[in-house]
Amino acid sequence: MASLLQPDRVLYLVSGEKKIRSPLSQLYFCRYCSELRSLECVSHEVDSHYCPSCLENMPSAEAKLKKNRCANCFDCPCCMHTLSTRATNIPAPLADDPAKTTMKKAYYLACGFCRWTSRDVGMADKSVASGGWQEPDNPHSLRISKLIEYYQQLAQREKVERDRKKLARRRAYMPLAFSEKYGLGTRLQRQRSGAPISSISGLSLKENEDQKEIKIEPAQALEEVEPLPEDYYTRPINLPEVTTLRQRLLQPDFQPICASQLYPRHKHLLIKRSLRCRESQVLLTLTNPVENLTHVTLLPCEEGDQDDQSTAKVVLSPKELVLAGKDAAAEYDELAEPQDFQDDPDIVAFRKSNKIGFFIKVTPQQEEGEVTVSFKLRHDFRNLATPIRPMEEGEQGTEAVWLVHHVELSLGPLAA
Amino acid sequence: MPLFEGLGTGGEKTAVVVDLGAAYTKCGFAGECGPRCIIPSEIQRPGSTQPVKVVQYNVNTEELFSLLKDFIHMLYFRHLLVNPRDRRVVIIESVLCPSHFRETLTKVFFRYFEVPSILFAPSHLMSLLTLGINSAMVMDCGYTETLVLPVYEGIPILSLWEALPLGGKTIHKELESMLVDQCTVDTDSTNGQSLPSVMGSISESIIEDIKVRTCFVSDLQRGQNIQKAKFNLDGTAQRPDPPPDVDYPLDGETILHIKGSIRDSVIEILFEQDNEEKSIATLILDSLIKCPIDTRKTLSENLVIIGGTAMLPGFQHRLLAEIRALKEKPKYKQSLSNKNFRIHSPPAKPNCTSWLGGAIFGSLQDILGSRSISRDYYNQIGRIPDWCSLSSPPPESVYDPGKTPPPLMKRAFSTEK
Repeated sequence: MASLLQPDRVLYLVSGEKKIRSPLSQLYFCRYCSELRSLECVSHEVDSHYCPSCLENMPSAEAKLKKNRCANCFDCPCCMHTLSTRATNIPAPLADDPAKTTMKKAYYLACGFCRWTSRDVGMADKSVASGGWQEPDNPHSLRISKLIEYYQQLAQREKVERDRKKLARRRAYMPLAFSEKYGLGTRLQRQRSGAPISSISGLSLKENEDQKEIKIEPAQALEEVEPLPEDYYTRPINLPEVTTLRQRLLQPDFQPICASQLYPRHKHLLIKRSLRCRESQVLLTLTNPVENLTHVTLLPCEEGDQDDQSTAKVVLSPKELVLAGKDAAAEYDELAEPQDFQDDPDIVAFRKSNKIGFFIKVTPQQEEGEVTVSFKLRHDFRNLATPIRPMEEGEQGTEAVWLVHHVELSLGPLAA
Repeated sequence: MPLFEGLGTGGEKTAVVVDLGAAYTKCGFAGECGPRCIIPSEIQRPGSTQPVKVVQYNVNTEELFSLLKDFIHMLYFRHLLVNPRDRRVVIIESVLCPSHFRETLTKVFFRYFEVPSILFAPSHLMSLLTLGINSAMVMDCGYTETLVLPVYEGIPILSLWEALPLGGKTIHKELESMLVDQCTVDTDSTNGQSLPSVMGSISESIIEDIKVRTCFVSDLQRGQNIQKAKFNLDGTAQRPDPPPDVDYPLDGETILHIKGSIRDSVIEILFEQDNEEKSIATLILDSLIKCPIDTRKTLSENLVIIGGTAMLPGFQHRLLAEIRALKEKPKYKQSLSNKNFRIHSPPAKPNCTSWLGGAIFGSLQDILGSRSISRDYYNQIGRIPDWCSLSSPPPESVYDPGKTPPPLMKRAFSTEK
């Protein structure tokens, strides 16, 4: 059974852009193109989002709104483990009678792995179990949205300008200077009005649009930068108080240096992928065993075959081998009758439900090293999916397609 | 920050903005205030234990294609969680990025992921969008190198770039050699061992962590004293008192004692002037004296510092002080002594500033559409336009045949010819 852990013994050749050899367990089959596909030749798509700790499936729109983060679960900012909500009882005055005190539940977040709690950061205990915790906002978000508005206005102007230019008559007799916005004509105009040459803001001098001008203050440069505080050179460092680079980069908006400012973040979601065959755009499934009889012929590789990388000659049985169909019920039925196939005992070693073992003779051609054998496996395949072409009435099965796969067997090093 | 991302207006979906740095990749969506994720630019291959760096310029095309493919696959399906086919892509790049890398990246995006369009945006230019100004002298202190590029009125002045291979990587190397020479390690059984005897070599991520948590940049006076003491030309220079030592745990039982003197002196290599009297501070001044005279005032009063290495404590203060001290030197005095140097503080951390600029640009949907390279154009032409190659035809025929092509300056700003 050690061979289960060595899936690379039997490799199938996938004819895509690159020739990839891969064990069958890692391959997919496209029913439409009738070809083997590997992970490299398919296109991956995002199927659905889910949270890894609460396993809740999120619809894509909600995931987008929440920035791919779960609403309920939090990550510890120190060790990235999932935080759990713990409750304590604290005495608190009753609303109607300040004299009496009663026990109220207060909730805080704690990490079971590194013992971080939300109290370390100064977050007050909340009175609801979930939904009370907020992530801090980026302090610059207002300024950034103003900048985006301003640039969007400039972009609008440029677009209008461009559209107008396209519609305007092209005057071929005018030199280059007057027809482009970088030409001399417009430059002269600008110089007269004394405005700076600019590829971004020069358009503001054209005929006005009746929009409101959005003006922003350009950033002011500072004369002085804050120096390091004096005690920086003499103060000893408390290493656990300083955040590591990884902890900082998990919070790109803030990147705090002190551990006392490391706030927890909502947990990031994961996705389920769906794979599409690139050529036929059909969703793929794993190689599926068919239910009817399959005839298999083993053919030797041709001499001039470029895919042949074998180091041994192989003698294959010329006769056809017949594989019984897969009968799902037979697995549970111990008294299944053996199907009557006439097996040549020289070729067939054993037969069990839909598997068969067969002999091949191998003659190594090299003195030492790995022995690899390659041959072509030809089998018929009946497409059980609904065919594209309309079928005539009364026709039961679909027609069989003969598929040829190039198979490589690595038999291990040569024993002395 | 818009709550409804364009679904109400019926517009297209928000673009994906990626800044592929040599050490870290910043990735997120256009129109947002910060990247969704900042992850190391490396992938874990199933065969090897160590992760492999993605941004390498010396591997052959096939290997690079496969590295980039796996990395971008991880970006889309683990961090962004969207379909690649639906959204335009904005890639923030350095102007000195090799064409081979750019071509392979484009091939991965168009051929494998089938994105609708790509825009390559220069990082120095994008950082200006976060400030609302048109001209600035931008310095990007990254992992492999520090690159200075002036931008005037929205156009990067490409011929005036200045760069030095001093960045995070050099700091790591210097720190590692200092640790190996000077520091001792306590294991559970012994004390005071030298570092190489306990572990073969320290991994770069541990060195990076030591740099980030314990090291800092001293101010000008102290820094110059440290440099003098190191080179000790007079024999009399006295090193200022070092900061306290740090005990850094390597794992449960092994503790590395980091000497205090390492903490403030390792980053001095960025400011030490080498044989050609270059340091990262002189880069700005060298670029400035080459600039046209009229532009110098505006550029010197608008300095923008971006990049992860610029986030070290005390870096910006020291840089400004160095520039002010250096401008009195005879080389620069004539042209620059009367200039005021001022520095901006963008609304984002220095490592995300150019990402944020790309996100602002990516939210302008019409402009993004007209300036990007579409998949059809790429399939037709077979390669992407590059600022150093003049033979690609324009995506739209704005210019009649027979007329002269637009000047190089315009090409630098937009990717259409």
